[in-house]
Amino acid sequence: MAEITQAVTDLVDQFAKLPGIGKKSAERLTYHILHVHKSEALALAEAIRNVKENVRYCKSCYNLAEQELCGLCRDPGRQQDVICVVEQPRDLMALEQTGMYRGLYHVLLGRIAPLEGIGPDQLTIDALVNRVRAGGVEEVIMATNPTVEGDGTALYISSLLAETPVKITRLARGITSGSVLEYANKEMLSDALTGRQTF
Amino acid sequence: MSAENATAIVLRTVEFSETSLVVTLMTREFGKVGALAKGARRLKGPFESALDLLALCRIVFLRKSSESLDLVTEAKLLRRFRVKKGNLGGLYGGYYVAELLDAMTDDYDAHPELFDLADQTLAALADGETASKHVLRFELGLLRILGLLPSLEQCADCGDEVPAAGSVAFGHLDGGVLCAKCRVGKQQVASVHAGVLRTMTQLADSDDRVWRRLQIDKRTRGQLRGLMNQYMAHVLGRKPRLQPYLTWLERQ
Repeated sequence: MAEITQAVTDLVDQFAKLPGIGKKSAERLTYHILHVHKSEALALAEAIRNVKENVRYCKSCYNLAEQELCGLCRDPGRQQDVICVVEQPRDLMALEQTGMYRGLYHVLLGRIAPLEGIGPDQLTIDALVNRVRAGGVEEVIMATNPTVEGDGTALYISSLLAETPVKITRLARGITSGSVLEYANKEMLSDALTGRQTF
Repeated sequence: MSAENATAIVLRTVEFSETSLVVTLMTREFGKVGALAKGARRLKGPFESALDLLALCRIVFLRKSSESLDLVTEAKLLRRFRVKKGNLGGLYGGYYVAELLDAMTDDYDAHPELFDLADQTLAALADGETASKHVLRFELGLLRILGLLPSLEQCADCGDEVPAAGSVAFGHLDGGVLCAKCRVGKQQVASVHAGVLRTMTQLADSDDRVWRRLQIDKRTRGQLRGLMNQYMAHVLGRKPRLQPYLTWLERQ
């Protein structure tokens, strides 16, 4: 099959490199770009350039930021003595969307996965420990994913912070609100029983 | 394509797309299986988050006749691997079990005894039993089942009985102990206390009662760990990724 033009082929190839985008989807996106107004297509290109040139990691919490500190770290209204530890900036966004948490965050930028060759040194654990040791922190909430590797990462961090007077907590797990006990699985029920609270 | 049922331990998971995983499973019935689990990352569906690392589950999968990955269509969690608070030794021991199973077994080469050994080891590690002893037991049991156990009583070169007293030469390249005559000129030879070799023999025994009664002092454990680190690296042809983490086994 003859190539349409090199420029089109290049754009298809670039789209196809994105996660979740196959060859067909890449072609659809390319034809969409070809059909929209030039200003709209260039706005997309400009947004990509802007992100790559201006977005960096916050010096304190490693969230995405356009300045040295992210908006959350600069916000004086946030509770300064609680740090919620998450694996990725997208986890932080999910927690922020609940509107229930008013403290600070720390993004690890991954999780300890020795089988994949990812050790504690490749994450931002040292920076977290330094933040806690610097003082002013009362509680560290472990909000890593509830998987073996997420739990393992939380366990490792809590072992490092064990000598500090900081309270270390873990996100609760158990039955979903609105569900019925009859259909909850064994694991959910045992988690809910273990993590039960005073009523 | 035929649908198969199996009991499996999850050895590895790799994110494939927004919702799917590529998993490596050690099954009791078929040995190691590499498969795609479409939708396994969704909370709802036929997987119910069962395909987490080191979890024991019942699976249904479709075997592909071609080179492509098999397809897991269903997974039901039997036991999640979750260590007790503060037990990093147990956690890293579990990872090490997964690494060895993945690296040392072939696809569709079933070893039910090895599966049962891994299952028992993971259950013991999660329960907080002595991680160092259970990991050593797993390593030696694995080597025995796969026919790679080093010779511990007869010279690996000439086959003569090696006196089990004092220090004994252990040739990593030769695959076991060496008599005084054969030791000369050999490379990668370690000097091991006879007590360490006796402990190895007992840990490798298929009879559960033999090794369960065993009390291993700290010095023997340390020597044995060092010897096994070298031997496993030799058998694998590389240092295991989890080897630097095994120091945590002693900190339990």
